[in-house]
Amino acid sequence: MSPKTVTDQEILPGSRVLVTGASGLLGRSVAQKLVDLGYEVTTLQRSSSSIDGAQEVRGSLSDPEAVTRAVEGQHAIIHMAAKVSVSGEREEFVEVNIRGTERLLEAAWSAGVDNVLHVSSPSVAHGGSSLVGEGAGAADPEHAEGNYAQTKAEAELIAETYGSAGMNVLIIRPHLIWGPGDGQLTHRIVARARSGRLPILGSGAALVDTLYIDNAVEAFVAGLRRLPAIHGQRLVLTNGEPRPIGELLMGIAEAGGAKRPRMRVAPAIAKAAGLAVEKIWASASRVTEMPGDGEPPMTKFLAEQLSTAHWFDQRRTRESLDWTPSVSVDQGLEKLSEHVRRTGGVL
Amino acid sequence: MAKLKAWRSIPAAGARLPTEHIAAEGAFPGLDPKWSRLVTAKTDDGAHTFHVLDTGPELAERGITPTGTILAVHGNPTWSYLWRRVLAASLEQAAEGRAWRVIAPDQLDMGLSDRLEHPEAPAAEAESYRRFEQRLGDLDGLMDALDVDTSVPLVTLGHDWGGVISMGWAMRHADEVDAVVSLNTAVDHPVDEHVPAALRAAMAPAVLPISTVETEGFLKVTLGLAEGGLESAVKKAYRAPYTSRWGRGGIGGFVADIPALSEHVSRPVLEETSSKLTQWQKPTLFLWGPQDPVFQDRYLADLLERLPHADVHRFEGSGHLLAEDRNIAAPLFTWLDDRFPAADVQEDARSGLRSPEPAGEVSRLHDQLEHLTMTWRKASPAVVDMGVAEDQERAVSWDDLAEKVDALAVGLSELGVSPGDRVSLLVQPGNDLTVILYACLRIGAVAVVADQGLGLKGMTRAVRSARPQWIIGAKPGLTVARTLNWPGRRVSLDVLSGRQAKLLGTVASVERLLRSHSGRSPQDLPYPAPEDPAAVLFTSGSTGPAKGVLYTHGRLGALVALLRQQFAVKPGSSLIAGFAPFALLGPAIGATSVTPDMSVTKPSTLTAVAVAEAALAGEATMFFGSPAALRNVVATAGELSAEQRDALGGIYLVLSAGAPVHPVLLDQVQELFPEAEIHTPYGMTEGLLQADISREQVHEAMTSGPSGEGQPGVCVGRPVDGVRFALAPLDAEGHPVEQLVEPADHVGTLGEIVVSAAHLKEGYDRLWLTDRQSRRDTYDGLIWHRTNDVGHFDAEGRLWIQGRLQHVITTPAGPVGPGTVETPVDALDEVARAAAVGVGPAGTQAVVVIAEPEGSAKALRTGRSPLAQPEFARTVREASEVPVSAVLVLEGLPTDIRHNSKIDRTRLAEWAAEVLAGEKVKSL
Repeated sequence: MSPKTVTDQEILPGSRVLVTGASGLLGRSVAQKLVDLGYEVTTLQRSSSSIDGAQEVRGSLSDPEAVTRAVEGQHAIIHMAAKVSVSGEREEFVEVNIRGTERLLEAAWSAGVDNVLHVSSPSVAHGGSSLVGEGAGAADPEHAEGNYAQTKAEAELIAETYGSAGMNVLIIRPHLIWGPGDGQLTHRIVARARSGRLPILGSGAALVDTLYIDNAVEAFVAGLRRLPAIHGQRLVLTNGEPRPIGELLMGIAEAGGAKRPRMRVAPAIAKAAGLAVEKIWASASRVTEMPGDGEPPMTKFLAEQLSTAHWFDQRRTRESLDWTPSVSVDQGLEKLSEHVRRTGGVL
Repeated sequence: MAKLKAWRSIPAAGARLPTEHIAAEGAFPGLDPKWSRLVTAKTDDGAHTFHVLDTGPELAERGITPTGTILAVHGNPTWSYLWRRVLAASLEQAAEGRAWRVIAPDQLDMGLSDRLEHPEAPAAEAESYRRFEQRLGDLDGLMDALDVDTSVPLVTLGHDWGGVISMGWAMRHADEVDAVVSLNTAVDHPVDEHVPAALRAAMAPAVLPISTVETEGFLKVTLGLAEGGLESAVKKAYRAPYTSRWGRGGIGGFVADIPALSEHVSRPVLEETSSKLTQWQKPTLFLWGPQDPVFQDRYLADLLERLPHADVHRFEGSGHLLAEDRNIAAPLFTWLDDRFPAADVQEDARSGLRSPEPAGEVSRLHDQLEHLTMTWRKASPAVVDMGVAEDQERAVSWDDLAEKVDALAVGLSELGVSPGDRVSLLVQPGNDLTVILYACLRIGAVAVVADQGLGLKGMTRAVRSARPQWIIGAKPGLTVARTLNWPGRRVSLDVLSGRQAKLLGTVASVERLLRSHSGRSPQDLPYPAPEDPAAVLFTSGSTGPAKGVLYTHGRLGALVALLRQQFAVKPGSSLIAGFAPFALLGPAIGATSVTPDMSVTKPSTLTAVAVAEAALAGEATMFFGSPAALRNVVATAGELSAEQRDALGGIYLVLSAGAPVHPVLLDQVQELFPEAEIHTPYGMTEGLLQADISREQVHEAMTSGPSGEGQPGVCVGRPVDGVRFALAPLDAEGHPVEQLVEPADHVGTLGEIVVSAAHLKEGYDRLWLTDRQSRRDTYDGLIWHRTNDVGHFDAEGRLWIQGRLQHVITTPAGPVGPGTVETPVDALDEVARAAAVGVGPAGTQAVVVIAEPEGSAKALRTGRSPLAQPEFARTVREASEVPVSAVLVLEGLPTDIRHNSKIDRTRLAEWAAEVLAGEKVKSL
């Protein structure tokens, strides 16, 4: 018999882990990394995840039978599946983010799965105000803004309920993931910059925390490994390098092969329009939305994120995960730039 | 206000607010219902039920024996709720073994205690209202009824009229009471002085019943006196016992009992109290809010005249409701711990502390002055004032100076200036100021030196806090003093016309005193002793209100001894004083002091020509200046004639004090003063000279180390003779630890610099708490001073200063001194100077660099935003060893007023925090 892979301190390679939502960049990367490390990985998503060495359960969180099958025999679950866009019917968000989480955790409970890493978002705890060195407060569905944040807030509370019932639940809230292969933030910034339509708001000095994709993957692996020892916490996850948003946007645009966005000084515009800065950004981005951009962009959400300070206290996160980011923002920009050069302009 | 038609009788029965209200959830925020009890006590008119807040029962329940008892007496129109935080704090620390039982009664007719029957309206002669005498009896009855342990110390605590009552009671029980503490109060009201306007209005017989009983007027005005306003729930709690007319009889009674007139029925008890206080020798503490329109600073001055040994802390900015404005529990219990140490604490751990030996022999401040008049130098200049018009006498010889000082000493003494009296000097540095200062020092008067660098607001605050008995000033100073109603009898510099004298309210003039007492000798007047106070100086106030710093004759003498030793200043030396504090010490040292022609408030206006002219006139050998003055001297060197240039060649020592100096500037100064040794000593108002370094040593330090780049911060050299440094390393939150360590054992460790020397301050003036904190260390049996500066020591024993304690950036990786970031950034070609500040919560702050560009800012920033271009940001990040979150570019970093050279990081940090939160960029 192989040595025990799950202790009251650690979940080690060899353990069976279910990853939901493995079709996105983060889910796919985490699942792949776990496979590489020797975990027995199962993925649950609608389309094929095509991860070498992982077992696949095809299906959605709305399918109780698929969920039951997926959780069977797992040591741990990383629950990443969610509806992340900012528009769409509220019902869709409720179905995936709230009911989906309920179904998954209920099935896990019945199947005796002890460990759940629930992936959430810092937006579940805050409204639109600026966040300066913020901790990880409780999820607050009433004050979270928009369908995504509200339903994710509910989902977190559900996860915490299972946690207080005895399940080992760890909540991780990554903030603004970017890097090669990111079809969300990175893609949008570069695409806009390439078409010369990336405005920078006001002074562009608002400090914002981001998270380079490789660091995110390593942190999730660390979180899974240490889950039995550190469960019961909420951890915001970032690079811990708050940077002025203008500098970040310029850096990502340039790394993506676009010209540096021209600084647009908002106060004059804001004055003319009689609107607050973030509203200008929000409405400006709606108006200039490229037709056929596919999935409705996160522009309004992004606007709020990017026009005011959003950075977090990372001390507890790093201590709990026993992890520090291995790629700095500057190194990340270089990696992105290299990637774009190598692929001839593809992000 | 409506006129009171007829008084409706207030019945006694049922008017007490039921104590059940106390238990109601949230009704009295901060008040634990467990403390509340009803006590029936015998009083001179029978038994009454008192409501009392008492921690005794809870202590008993926890099995803790009290170490002492505090009887806390509220005033009018508050109630025991005022003391809730003292009760809470006492219980909190009770667990650690220092358990003071706090007993806070509601006075009769007040709070939740019994109401009295009032058939007549409140008035001075109305009998149904409680009198001072009766209230003392009430406390007797209460203390009998409560089971108070008489074997442990008993301390009274009061506020407002509760202050008078508690002290009156303490004086009658002087054998049993071990200490008295009071917040704003008054024990005497001279009948010839006007009653404060705020109170006068309420006391007018026609108004009194209406403002106090018929309406909530008096109550509301009092509750409105809190700094920044009271929270509504707290305000509601204070109002609760007084919402009905029936509940407010006591408020009217209290106001009617104010013995403002000599025939008032309570006047004898007040006089008994105030006169007995002068005999009181036991520990006394006053915690005072200076912004009180009723119990103004003049009442504190009166109290201190009666109780000169009292400890005082004036909480600048706070007022009548000090107990609401500030945390008074912490200083109260710290003080009690000091005064009543636990048995296991060595009793004289604190009183046995000493200072290191002075650097040289300490003599009286007058010795040199008197000595030189008996030598061949007596006709040589003692002081030269270049500000005096050319046709008038600029120089005063030692003989003449000594004679003038003697004459004025006698004159001031006969005018009524007594030893210990404080004299505020509103005279520009120069010959006149020197004469007045030494005359004051001779007779033991304490010179209060609030310089104009504080600004008018700062000076007003400073003079009010020092509370001088006298003000000596030139016309402009006296006009300000008169207009702003600064305390003190006024003496003018020059003889004024009768009309002017009346207008400015002066009682004498220095000019006439000198003339009329010419030739007189103060030989019958005793010299002050080394431990007698000599002067109050003020800090620059760059980190909060300016603090008064008290020096004794002995400590100033130690400073003089050090200056003579360190810089070989001796009789025959002649110094140009571009930095005021040193000018005043010239006569004590025995050196000629030359005041150059300059504006004191604008040291940056001192020109090279002015220095050269001063050098010529005074045959100067030394020049003391501030960095701002030095900068301008260098900048104006082109205006020098050949003769003037030669005069500068005669100077062998240049001292720059007050703020760090850039090495490049030092080199430029050297070119101008080719024969001089250039030194930049380190010190503070609390200890003018602590470390010293020469220009050559600065260069050596800045190229030291393996990489030849020096170390973070500004190198200020090694301790001078008689100075000992210790270090209080910073913890993760950037707070200095309590346990001091030896610098030599902690090379490179960032910490608060702590110093011990014979020439340090005696203490902070009327800032007992600040003083206590600054000298809390007992390391090695020495008296220490926490400088609030942070820095580190290198392996060679040199001190590198990085900034003020509040400028430390507390990153997740630990505390970072601003110099750690600034020093390498300053070295960049694009940067003229830089400031590093932290934004975000303590312990997880992000580092922000704000750079002042060497050339145009446009090339370094993005558009009109202060945000740095990414390339420049990268350069800065690469230069800094510590991760930098953001780089901002700003033309002209703000600096302090007094020295015009210390970067105001506090202001920059506030500005950067707004900019980096995404708010609109404001100009600084």
